[in-house]
Amino acid sequence: MSDVSEHDATPPSGAQEPGGSRGAPASAAAAGDEPVDVPDAVRAKEALLAEWLRAHAHPALAIGFSGGVDSTYLAAVAADAAGPARVVAVIGTSASLADDQHADARALAARLGVRVVDLATHEMADPRYVANPSNRCYFCKSELWTRVRAWAAEQGVETIADGTNADDVRGHRPGAVAGRERGVHSPLAHVGLGKDEIRILSRARGLPTWDAPSSPCLASRLPYGTPVTHARLRQVEGAERALRALGLAGDLRVRHHGELARVELSRAELGRWLSPAGMRAIRSAVRQAGFARVAVDLRGFRSGSLNVLEGVTAA
Amino acid sequence: MTVQRLERALAAIGLPGTVEIRGSLAVLTLQGEVSLEDETLRADAVRIASAHGYTHFAVELPDIGEGGASLHRG
Repeated sequence: MSDVSEHDATPPSGAQEPGGSRGAPASAAAAGDEPVDVPDAVRAKEALLAEWLRAHAHPALAIGFSGGVDSTYLAAVAADAAGPARVVAVIGTSASLADDQHADARALAARLGVRVVDLATHEMADPRYVANPSNRCYFCKSELWTRVRAWAAEQGVETIADGTNADDVRGHRPGAVAGRERGVHSPLAHVGLGKDEIRILSRARGLPTWDAPSSPCLASRLPYGTPVTHARLRQVEGAERALRALGLAGDLRVRHHGELARVELSRAELGRWLSPAGMRAIRSAVRQAGFARVAVDLRGFRSGSLNVLEGVTAA
Repeated sequence: MTVQRLERALAAIGLPGTVEIRGSLAVLTLQGEVSLEDETLRADAVRIASAHGYTHFAVELPDIGEGGASLHRG
């Protein structure tokens, strides 16, 4: 089977509203219905971004696309600035990408009218990735960008960009190093746009991702040193999907601690779901995904929680 | 022992159970069913675990059927 598949700008059959399967709040559907106050300084950054994208989309610009807040916004601005025909949304597909997230990403790209390319990546064949060290993302992104670079060369596409924003460059992001080594540009960071600003601008554009929770790959739920296996990834995916099906919204992670699943919810959802009946429902849903024990983290969702747990970053 | 002190401190705020340590994660397995809807109770529990040196604190959801005992705080 080919590692590359290209799709026209048509949502896949059965695709739901992008972002919906990951619990985007209902307010996302109303994006664009009311005026959004965008500060002049933020507008100015967007203008710089559009200028950069227009200048780098000849003959086309490839964007590493996840369907998340950042890459969706980047693709939307690129499509406006350079024309959708000059923008390619490249989706890296592998076992660490949840099926729901893949469907959402394809539907979003189609909505923007840009070309969509699915590029299979094989990080699971790399023992350095599978060993799950604290710089696991470096090996994953090395694989992704190497394959995107090769595909782009075949297509005559010179510029590759990702959705790294100005906030990301301050955190523990070994994956960003792999991108820089392969000449991947990060125009959002380049013009100084941070996450909050991107959400404001996304809302102003009516993008359904403006308040979508972040959605890193499934491997991020495994503590460092726990080997990445298909079985563990599917356990996490199944548990999170089951919790979404219960109605849990917002940020949600099922952290894999062997036989124990540690569930992180947003603070609002903690208050809603930690009644005895709610806890029983959570327990039942997660156990059906193959975990023997289920615990809820009382601090709730924390981005990079496992980095803190492993001492990679400070609490 | 630190774990026993942590268990006593948690029991004192209405969270009786046994604590299992996994690195800097403390997991409390509740004795019986306890409502954790109260944000103050959750914050108190996290603060206590943090004071004992744990960056993460989780409560294992007990295996109690529909007819299980319910221990509501307060």
